[in-house]
This record gives sequence, C-alpha cells and structure tokens, in this order.
Amino acid sequence: MTIAVLLLATSVTTADDTALLSGYRLTNKAFRAAAQKVMPALVTIETFGGVARPKTGKRGGGISRPGDGPTTGLIVSPDGWIVTSTFNFVKKPPIITVVLDDDSRHVAKLMGRDETQRICLLKIDGVKDLPTANFIPREKARVGQWAISIGIGYGDDDPAISAGIISATTRIFGKAIQTDANISPANYGGPLIDIDGGVIGVCVPLSPQSRSALAGVEWYDSGIGFVVPLHGQEKLLEQLKTGKEFHPGLIGIATKTATPKGQGAAIAAVAPKSPASKELKKGDRLLQVNGQEVIDVIHLKTILGRFYAGETITLKIGRGEKKLDIQITLAEKVEPIKRKKGRLKIKKIEAE
Amino acid sequence: MVCSLNNHKAKRWFSLPAAVLVAAVALGHTALAAEPENVFASAIAHAQRRCVKIYGAGIGRVEGYATGLIVSADGQILTGQGVFLSGTNIRVVTPDGRMHYAKVLRRSTALQIALLKIESATPDFFEVPEKSPVAKGDWVLAVTNLFKVADRAEELSVSLGVVSLRTRLDARRGTQDVPYDGEVLITDAITSNPGAEGGALITIDGQLAGMVGKIIESKSTNTRLNYAVPADLLQKFLAGVATSTTSPKGKGGAKLGIRLFTLTGTKRAPAYIDRVLPNSPAAKAGLKKDDLILSIDKEIVHDIRGYGKLVKLLTPDEEITMLVKRKREILRILITPTGPKTDATKK
Repeated sequence: MTIAVLLLATSVTTADDTALLSGYRLTNKAFRAAAQKVMPALVTIETFGGVARPKTGKRGGGISRPGDGPTTGLIVSPDGWIVTSTFNFVKKPPIITVVLDDDSRHVAKLMGRDETQRICLLKIDGVKDLPTANFIPREKARVGQWAISIGIGYGDDDPAISAGIISATTRIFGKAIQTDANISPANYGGPLIDIDGGVIGVCVPLSPQSRSALAGVEWYDSGIGFVVPLHGQEKLLEQLKTGKEFHPGLIGIATKTATPKGQGAAIAAVAPKSPASKELKKGDRLLQVNGQEVIDVIHLKTILGRFYAGETITLKIGRGEKKLDIQITLAEKVEPIKRKKGRLKIKKIEAE
Repeated sequence: MVCSLNNHKAKRWFSLPAAVLVAAVALGHTALAAEPENVFASAIAHAQRRCVKIYGAGIGRVEGYATGLIVSADGQILTGQGVFLSGTNIRVVTPDGRMHYAKVLRRSTALQIALLKIESATPDFFEVPEKSPVAKGDWVLAVTNLFKVADRAEELSVSLGVVSLRTRLDARRGTQDVPYDGEVLITDAITSNPGAEGGALITIDGQLAGMVGKIIESKSTNTRLNYAVPADLLQKFLAGVATSTTSPKGKGGAKLGIRLFTLTGTKRAPAYIDRVLPNSPAAKAGLKKDDLILSIDKEIVHDIRGYGKLVKLLTPDEEITMLVKRKREILRILITPTGPKTDATKK
C-alpha cells in the first residue's frame, strides 16, 4: 500500500499489473483503429420540421420522443445510397440532409423502408465513388466477440463509441444480432463493428413484444441492444431502392394459450375480414407453416414473425379429424378481435 | 482492503462471515501479486480509499445523497453541485466508516460542482491531473455510491466502460437547460443514477480521469447521459482558473430582414423564407423567398422556433454563415445583421 502511494503521480499498480494493463490498452487501440476504418462511410443525418409529438403508440419507455438529432447513417453504395434506421424519421420531417465525412452537405430523399427491421434507405444525388461500409457475413458474428457501436447522435462531428460483446446471434425472429454495447438514439442507424472494423449490422430499436414506433427504445443503453445484419440482404436493399415498404405480415388469429403437445397451435378466435377469416375457424389447429412443424403457440409466433405483409404462406391445419393444406396471403393490418368478457384476454392478435 | 484501516467503530459492524470474507479478500490480494488475475484490483482499491459518501437534504423526488472525491490531505472533497448541499447538515462518510460534518468552500456553476471541507486529515487523496489521462476508447472504471447501495464502511460500487466521446454538453435536467458550460467525458459505463454524482472515474491504472456528473438528458437524443467532468477541468476549478470556454452571447437586437412562412401556425414547420425585406441584410446577401434556412453558424435550424432562438443570440454587424436550401441545392450565404435602429429593417 505504501508503494501504491509513492507511485501515485504516475500509476498505482505493481509491475506485474502493468504488463497486464498494457494488454488491456491494446484493446483500446484496436477499438479506435476499428472505428477509424468505418468513419469514411459514416454520415450525419439532420432533419428539418416534422411533427412535435409524433404518435408513437405507447410512450417509448425512457424517452418521451426522439431528440433534436443529429442521427447516424451508413453509405452502402458509391452512388449515394445510405442505410439508416426508421427511428430517425419518426417525426416525419419534410426535409432531410446528410453530411458526408468530407463535410459536404446534401439534400436526401427517404426511399423504401422495412418496418420489421426498422431500416430504411436514403438517397443523395450528384455524388459518385463514395466509400461504402463493409458488412461482414452473418456467420462471422460469434457470441462473445468484441463489438463496438458507433454513432453521431450526441451532436459532435466526432462519433461516440461504446464497446461490448456480441450477446446472441439469433434474436427477434432471427432477424437481429444482440449486443451489450450501448445502443441508443445516439447510434440508431449507425454501425456495430467488429474489432477489425467490419460492420456486423445496423443499430436499430427492436422489441420482441411490441410494434409501436418507439418499441425497443426502452432498452436503450441497457446492455440489451439489437443490430440487423445487411450481408445477404442485397435483394431487399434493391427493392428498398425502388421505394418499396415492407411491413410485418399479419394473419388475424388469436391462439389458445395452451394446446396439448404435438398438436400445434389451436385457434381461439379469428379476426373479422382478416386473411384468416376466409380460411380458418375457431378450433382449428395450426400444424405446419411452409412445411415447418409448429411446436406450440410461442413457436408459431416465432415462425410467423419472419414474414412480410403481402407474402403468401402455406399452412397445414388440423380440423377435427381432417388435415387440410391452405394458402393465406398476409396483410399489413387486421381488425382487432373483440374481447369476450372473462375468457379471452387478448384484444388483438397479430401473426408475428 | 478499505476495511483494513483501523477503525473500531466500523469493525463492530462485521459479522463473523463478513470477517472471513475480508480475510479471503486479503489472501486473494496476496495471491494477486504472484499471479495477477484481477488486473483492475489495485486501481479500484486505490480509488475506494479516496471516495466518500455524502448525505444531505433531499427535496421531493430529488435524492439527498451523492459521492465525493478526497482531493487534499486536509480533507477537501470534490462533489457535484446538487440539492444535497443546500441544507446546513451535510454529512460525509469517509472510507473508514466515520461520519464528518462538511461545509461548502466553493461552487462552480459552469461545471456544476462544489468543493467541500471536512475536519479530518488523511494521507489518501486523489491527485487531480492537469492533463486528461484518457482518450476516446480507453477503459475507465466508475466508482460511485449509486442508489446509496454502500453503507458506512462498505466499498462503493464499481462499473467498467470505455470513454465514448469528449464533447461539449448540450443537455437538460427535466425541462430545464443544464447551465453546464464546458466539455464532458461521455462514457458507456452507466453512471446516470441517483447517488453516483461526485463519484470517481478512473483509468485502469488508478489515475483520476474525471468526476461523475448529474442525472441529465441529452437534448439531441432525449436519453440519459452518462458523463463525467474531465479531470483537467476539475484541476482548473481547484486552481481557481475559469473553465468557461464559450464566447459571450450576442447582445440581441440584430436584424436580418427575413419573414418566415408561418401560415400553418405551427412552430415546428421548417424555416422557409416567406419574404425578404427590401434593402435588408438578407436581400443584400441574396436570400430569396422559398429558401429554406438549414443552419446559422453551424447551429442547425430544425424549425421556425429554432430560428427564432438563434436569431436572438446574433450580434449586429457580426457576419454569420447561413446554409440555405434552394430547390435541390444547398448554398452557403454570408450575411451581416444590422442593428435595431438602422433604416434597412423598416417595416
């Protein structure tokens, strides 16, 4: 302890510690170097105007509404396509500008969006040969490896970084990768990178429970954060470039909370005028979706959560003794199922 | 190791299992020297001996407790500037578990910190460095009494993170702007909790990197900000040097000769120009109807309200840079506002 006090001016550690500490400092250097690699593809997004208090359904736990920005985006093609999070436009701003790494400012147009992954594309014109983000293959992201989130959201030219690890690789219906690096409005739309500077995914607010516009934001900076990997989603990006919007596909059923094992998921109610209303009845058991066995109700949610509105799925159902194959096209919206007093506690059931 | 300080009062609190635990920790520490396993142990022990628990007045839901840093041998203590200092009954519990009454020596509005004094000498105090010992991405440990989890001689809570960014603070507490005027260290260790204010942010070799700040929200993200006052600014405060870095704000009364498009009645509409007054600074600079004002001197003009706030801060005859959007083009326009009495701004 006396030694520690004597060494106070420089360090309080022993020689043995110092060797180890220098090892730790190498990780700090690596974080900085990795962040530096993705910097050229990082953009600052500013929005102008928009609604003061956007209708977001529930209060997005912890924040009442999005802040003033700025927010973060990532260049995905040399001709000016930028991926970011739909969270950054919850206020529906009429004007969006983007500042590139070279400080040039451009007017941006909001194109297609995927509400199931909370990502969207911006386009800026009159640019070429822009540096792009390097997305790593999904399978390269392994639980336990370093993950660094980067975001411009605190309003400095210099982005803020947060270091953590990958916590899980299949989350939110298999769409997202989970990290314990801080994910928040400060970096929604920005990258989560590995220690080599490769982009693991785009930081987004997501919630397995809710679809309201600020769902998932309640977990900001909590150690539970999600990113969506873009590697392998090139087809989706092409469709987003055409302005297409993707919404979660809904079927319109309420399921019984408990169905005997091996009997799939039993339907408790069908929403009126929903995709399910023509083909399915109360009491039907959902056995398979596109050939995949349905183990139970929770499993059904996981399976259906992957589909978009407009997609047609094939269901194998059990109705009494009979087994039927039916096709259903999922919808973007369904009417709520009316609550029956006492028994059915579910107001509205969505196929997710 | 904090408990090893000879304090009989504190020792009375230990039940037998606790004493065994202390012994185990001590043994663990000996083993550490031979084969260091916990690389942060020395740094944390160093900080624990130099941090105090502070209790004072609370108002409503505002907590009446905090953490503090011992910064001199004669019992000077740095902490946050909070409600807990407002009463006459400020109590400081030193690492040995002893309670002392403290008085406030000085405060800094700009940094939202205060210097206290207790009548107790100690060989253990933080050296506050003149230069920040951390850069972005460096590991830091936060040592705080968040939620007053630690009682009496119990050690404070420690969490690990990295420095996220050093930047100027633009934040609020509740609905009010925070008067903080200077740079902060933002960390990804979560420190924005009751009681953590005044805690130590240290490097992994035990140097003081900063002091944990208040519970505030960033204006740009609307999220809680985990920030610390950088050690170099703490040192300036201790040395009596002014830390404020902002230039004095404009006297106001500056006129540009711009009328914005406000037909919708909302203050959140983008700042489109509806009319440029003839012979005004705006007209001379070439601004036109339907131009959209994006920024004034790098401050983003999100909407009409934001424009109004920024224009109030302008000084007559001082040139500003305005970014405007005209159709799909972005233009940089230099414009010099006039004073209130000049003819140019006659209606």
